[in-house]
Amino acid sequence: MSRHVAPQTWADAFAGRLSDDERAAIEQHAEGCEKCARSRARVGRASDSFASLRAQTAPELPWDAVRARVHWTVSKERRARTAPVPRRSRFAWPRRTWLALGLAAVGGIGVVIATQRTTSSPAKEPTIALARVAPAEAPSPPPAPAPAPLAGLVNRAAGEVRLDGVRPAELFTQRLVAGNVIATGDGAVDVQFGEASAFALGPGSTLELRRFDAEAIELAVTGTIDVEVAARRPGQRFLVIAGEHTVEVRGTQFRVEHVAEGTRVACRHGRVAVRDRAAEVEVGTARGLRIAPGTALTEERVAPLTVDELDALARATPLQLPLWDVDALARNSAPLSIATPTAATREVRVDGVELGRAPLAVRVMPGRHTVEAADHAGRFRRAGWVDVAGAGAGARLELPAERPPTAGIAARRRELRAGLDHARLASCTRSIAKAGLSGTYVQIELAVDEHGAVGFLNVIDTDLPSSTARCVRESLAQVRFRAGAAATLRERIDL
Amino acid sequence: MLPRVRRETGSTAALGPADEADLIARCRTDDRTAHDELYHRYRRQVAANLYRVLNDRTDLDDLVQEVFVIAFRGLDKFRGDARLSTWLYRICVNVALGRIRTRRRRPSAIGVADLDATAVDPSLVERPETPERTLQRQQDRDRVYRALEQLAPKKRVVLYLHEIEGRDLKDIAYLVDSNPVTVRTRLFYARREFYRLIAGDAALDPPPMGGEEGEA
Repeated sequence: MSRHVAPQTWADAFAGRLSDDERAAIEQHAEGCEKCARSRARVGRASDSFASLRAQTAPELPWDAVRARVHWTVSKERRARTAPVPRRSRFAWPRRTWLALGLAAVGGIGVVIATQRTTSSPAKEPTIALARVAPAEAPSPPPAPAPAPLAGLVNRAAGEVRLDGVRPAELFTQRLVAGNVIATGDGAVDVQFGEASAFALGPGSTLELRRFDAEAIELAVTGTIDVEVAARRPGQRFLVIAGEHTVEVRGTQFRVEHVAEGTRVACRHGRVAVRDRAAEVEVGTARGLRIAPGTALTEERVAPLTVDELDALARATPLQLPLWDVDALARNSAPLSIATPTAATREVRVDGVELGRAPLAVRVMPGRHTVEAADHAGRFRRAGWVDVAGAGAGARLELPAERPPTAGIAARRRELRAGLDHARLASCTRSIAKAGLSGTYVQIELAVDEHGAVGFLNVIDTDLPSSTARCVRESLAQVRFRAGAAATLRERIDL
Repeated sequence: MLPRVRRETGSTAALGPADEADLIARCRTDDRTAHDELYHRYRRQVAANLYRVLNDRTDLDDLVQEVFVIAFRGLDKFRGDARLSTWLYRICVNVALGRIRTRRRRPSAIGVADLDATAVDPSLVERPETPERTLQRQQDRDRVYRALEQLAPKKRVVLYLHEIEGRDLKDIAYLVDSNPVTVRTRLFYARREFYRLIAGDAALDPPPMGGEEGEA
C-alpha cells in the first residue's frame, strides 16, 4: 500500500466498517507512515468523543417562562384567526364617496373646458400641427428572448432504453433535449432535469419531450411516468400529456399511467390538475384519479390512495443527485454498471440506497461506493466496493453469484449465544455504563466453516465507541465452534 | 448482562402509539392541558437535541420556544407517518439549521456554551480521571465541534446525525426533508471534509492559554 490512508477510512475502520484485511493493510501502512499514524490517532480520538457528545443532556432552562411564551404566541395567533373581520368604519364610505365625487367633478369641468376650446377654435389646430404632436409610430417591441432550453441527464437505467429509436452506446453522456423520444422495453430509466426535478419512465413506456425549456415542460407519455418536480416559478408550466388529458403541476410528486385501459393519475404529495377539453379535476396529496377510455373527466371521482399504492409511489421516486447544473453534473459524475453473473436479477443498493433489480447502471459521484445485493431471503449483503474515478470514467461491478442458503445457521447461532463470555463483555462496556450509557448493541456478521473455523467476524453496526467495540469484538472472537454445517449469519447482540 | 439505564429525556414515560394519537388529537382541539402535557414530555428532549447539534446554549430557550410554536402550529398537518418525537426532532433540526446559517452570517461573541465548555464533563465526575485525561477529552470534543463549525450548514447537520447520532440514511432524509440519495452524497462530501479537518490539525487546535490568536 503506497498511497496515504484517507482520514475518513480511519473513521470507517474504527466504526467496524472495514474488513479485517482492509484494516490490516491500512494499519500496516500507518506503521511506516508518520502522517497516517498521526491521522489515525486524531481520528480515533475524535471518534471516541462521539459517544460523550451523544450523551450530552439538556442544560437547565427557565422552562415555565418558555412555556408561557409558547402559550402566548400560539394563543395570540389563535385569537387573531378566530377574531371576527373588523367592520368598516361608518364614516369611511362617505369620505371616499365625497373624494370620488370631487375628483369626478374636477374631471368633468376639465372635459367641458377642453371641449369648448376644441369646438370654438377648430382652425387653430392645423393638420400639420396635429401631425407634429401625434406620437411617432411606436417602435415594435423587441422580440421576446427565447426561453433557455433545458437538458436532462440519465441517472439510472435498467434493461432496454432507446433514445429516438436507437439504443445509445453511452446513455449516461447523452443530454436529453426538446424533441427527444425515450422508450423503454423491459427496463426503466430515471432522468434528472433540474434541482430536485426528475422523472422515472417505467417499463414499456414512451415519452416525448415536446417542449423542454425554462418556461414550459411538456411531456407526452404512453405508459407509466413518475415525476418529482420542484416548485415551479410563476409563469413556468409543467404538463404531462396523456392522450386527451393533460396533467399540470406546480411542485409535487405524482404518477401518470396512460395505457389502453385508461389513464390513471396518482399524486403522492402536492396537487395536480387533470384536464380534458371540457373539465378540470384537482387531485391532491395521497389521492388518485382513474379515467376509463371514452369517459368524460367529470364523471370520474378522485379517491384516496391505499397504503400499498402510496408505498409504490414512494419506491418509484426518481433518482436524483444533489448537484444540478447539467454541465457540472456531467463533469462530476460517472455511470456505475452493476451486472449479475447469471440471467437472474437481484435487488441491489448502493451506499445504502435501494435502486431496484440489477443489472442496472446508475450515475454516481466520484469516490468509493458500497454495493450490496439482496440474498434469497431479501437481506442485503455486501457485494463489494467500487472506486469511481469520476469525470465520466465509469466503473463496473459484477455481483458475485449468490451462495446457496446454509443449513446450519440456527445451530451456529445457538453455539454463538452459548459461547458468549458475558463477564468479559460486561468488562468491555463497564466504562460507558458508568458514564450513563446503556442499551448498546453490536451487530456482527460471522462466517463459520464446516471445521468450526471462523472465516470472518465483522462488526457491521454498533452504537459503541470504537475502543469498546474493539474490546467486544475481541471477546466475540474467542467463541469456539464445533465441526458442523458451514454458516454465515448476522446477529445482533444487546449489551 | 448490564443493567439498562434510561437516558434522561424529561418525559415521564414513553407514550404508546394510541396515547400519542390521543395527545395529538387533544392538542388539535386547542386543549391547553394537552399542550402543557406535550411541552412537559418533550421539552428536555427538544432542548438536548438543539444543544447537541449547536453546541451552544446562547438563546437556547428562544430556540426551544420556536420549536414548540412551530409544532403547535403544524400539528394539524402532522400525518402521523413518524413518531411524534421524531417529528419534533425534525423541527429541531430545521430550527438548528436556521440558527447555524444565521450564526455563520453574523458570528457572535463567545457564548455561554463556550465558557461552560471549560468545565468538567459531568459524565466524568462519577469516574475520576487524571486532569490531563479530562483536559484531553475536552479538547477532543472541542476539536470535533470546531471541525463541524467549518462545514456548510447542511453538511454539518447530516454529518452530525450520521456520525454522532448514528442515524441511518432514511432517518436523516426524513429529518432534513430530503431524499436518501441527496443525503448520501452530502454525507460523502461532509465526511471527507470533516475527517480531513480532524486529521490535519493546525486550524482546529485551540489557541494556547494566554498566547497569540492562533497558530501559524
